[in-house]
Amino acid sequence: MVTPLEMIRKKRAEAVNRIISKGYLSTKRVYVGMATCEIAAGSKEVMQVFRQAIANGLTDVYLSQKGCAGRCNLEPTVEVVEEGHIPVKYGRVTPERAREIIERHLKKGEIISEWVI
Amino acid sequence: MGHLRKEINVKQIQYKLTLCDGPTCVHNQSKQLRDALESEIDKAGIRKSVSIHLSGCLGMCKQGPILIVNPGYTMYGNVKPADVSEIVQSHLVSGKPVVRLIIREDHLYNRFFRIFGDADFFGKQMRIALRNCGIIDPENIDDYLSLRGYEALAKVLTDMSPEAVIAEVKKSGLRGRGGAGFPTGLKWELTAREKSSEKYVICNADEGDPGAFMDRGSIEGDPHTILEGMIIGGYAIGSRNGIIYIRAEYPLAIKRLEKAIAEARQHGFLGEHIFGTDFSFDIEIRLGAGAFVCGEETALIHSIEGVRGMPRPRPPYPSVSGLFGKPTLINNVETWANIPVIILDGGDWFSSIGTKTSKGTKVFALAGKVLNTGLVEVPMGTTLRQIVYDIGGGIPNNKKLKAIQTGGPSGGCLPADYLDTEIDYESLAKAGSIMGSGGMIVIDEDTCMVSLAKFFLEFTQDESCGKCTPCREGTKRMLEILTRITEGKGRTGDIEKLERLGQMIKSASLCGLGQSAPNPVLSTIKNFREEYEEHIEHKKCRAGQCSALLSYQINEKCVGCGACKRVCPVGAIEGIRKEKHRILPDKCIRCGQCYQACKFEAITKA
Repeated sequence: MVTPLEMIRKKRAEAVNRIISKGYLSTKRVYVGMATCEIAAGSKEVMQVFRQAIANGLTDVYLSQKGCAGRCNLEPTVEVVEEGHIPVKYGRVTPERAREIIERHLKKGEIISEWVI
Repeated sequence: MGHLRKEINVKQIQYKLTLCDGPTCVHNQSKQLRDALESEIDKAGIRKSVSIHLSGCLGMCKQGPILIVNPGYTMYGNVKPADVSEIVQSHLVSGKPVVRLIIREDHLYNRFFRIFGDADFFGKQMRIALRNCGIIDPENIDDYLSLRGYEALAKVLTDMSPEAVIAEVKKSGLRGRGGAGFPTGLKWELTAREKSSEKYVICNADEGDPGAFMDRGSIEGDPHTILEGMIIGGYAIGSRNGIIYIRAEYPLAIKRLEKAIAEARQHGFLGEHIFGTDFSFDIEIRLGAGAFVCGEETALIHSIEGVRGMPRPRPPYPSVSGLFGKPTLINNVETWANIPVIILDGGDWFSSIGTKTSKGTKVFALAGKVLNTGLVEVPMGTTLRQIVYDIGGGIPNNKKLKAIQTGGPSGGCLPADYLDTEIDYESLAKAGSIMGSGGMIVIDEDTCMVSLAKFFLEFTQDESCGKCTPCREGTKRMLEILTRITEGKGRTGDIEKLERLGQMIKSASLCGLGQSAPNPVLSTIKNFREEYEEHIEHKKCRAGQCSALLSYQINEKCVGCGACKRVCPVGAIEGIRKEKHRILPDKCIRCGQCYQACKFEAITKA
């Protein structure tokens, strides 16, 4: 009989494959905070900017929502994670800032230090 | 470290080092290690491209001191000052990690560290209950599965008996995170012991303290961990019915829970024959209308049963006779979130974190007059000073800290003398407050303690269910007295009257709400009695918050610009242009608008 532990290992492997098939191995991963607090601070609009950019042809980016990390006074927060680089965390991201993050950081690799937490 | 960051340009940083600064590692010479690192980095000439950060306890004390190098999240253990030169030269200069010192451990806790560990706010924290919050997509079960989600459940069903699960929880020393701190393992054992064909498992997500959002953050960030904890609880006590009682005012949390439950059912983690075993368990959500008293377990059970949410005397405890008269295991959201970690990382490990009587971590909602507000999770035994200053970043505008309020409307105010109190259930109670569910409000010198006590009492007075007369009538009378004190109509003897009423309510009320309702008043009287006396005897509010006790005057600095006159909503300011103006005390409503409008500091508040 297959034990629950063996079953969960298989399920985990499947889950990882599904995440990878959604583009997890892209060069850059972008996480937008989407809990009630972040949404109240405007993260839905920020998320929309990233979604739109991907729909308009921005490639090699994996976009995901996440819960609240606890940084209330700096919300909405956005993380840009890139293998081999130090994860960058932006605070108080507005749709305008999101557009700049796309242009400068995601496309040109420039970290916008003024907004880093 | 905030100052370091400003000097160093973020763009030049190639490596970020995190050094464990927990008490055990400090003992193991982490300070010497840090000095060695600084000097080796200077020697190698890479000062500008490396930043060093100190973290709180990383929970790997046996292998401390720990040094983490990012990017790459390379973790070095048992690092000796003699190893530092090799790490700097090989890893930081040549880019080759020092393999012999690397430790590879896949713990559930502190996952957030990979992304957030270098920021001061996060680095001093230790995350067990909130381990996935801000890391995973809460609406995608795959994200949870990829981080060993539901492995604890699988482990329990593979090779642990219900008794072994309870033994593990008991060994962990976990205590109820809802506030009272009852040992969780014992609660499980008591419920498991009851013989009954039907038992219930309840998650208390009725979060109601003003300013508290720990449970909401936890559910919205990682709903599956709560489900997993509950399923394990159901297995341990022999129940097949789980209920999450949550407020209807948390729509997003409810939506995410519903989605999580549906996905868990699809994967066979909920429902009949979980993982193909004989164990079946399912969870449903019950919505509360937002009554504070329904956070009390017996009132909550009444509310689920469909009757009025009022507490009843205990015993019998819910473990014997709970929902629909059946044995019921009821735990708070944060308690449930700890369970999968205890199962996978072990009760022994869990009990190595924290103080003698309180194990593990506690989540606090840090709010009030503090620079970095937010959700923090710290090991028990962390001091209030570390939370307010190291994590919270201190008080804005260089104001002085006056007090810290913990435990919400049931808790108390601790004055600044208690800053070095190490947080656990006992030490907070000894200091005159409570752990509570985790509200923590920082108060600076601009806050009037009488008004603050009044605010909390307004809340409990409003939320009193009315069953016990001392609570229903007593809180009302106390509020009347506090109101008249803040309006400058306080009488001699009012303080004593408040103390007498407070003691009476505490001793004559049935449930925790009533027994703790006077706490904010009693603790502020105990620690800030002189403020009450000033209000009553001298009609003075030193914080300048009680408007009825204020008077505004215009001094010699007035140039007669008329700015104050224009903003005054009641026409209480008179004067001719370019001459000194005057406030008419009888007309003035003390709104303070003139005070803010004046550009010449010509209006004084007394």
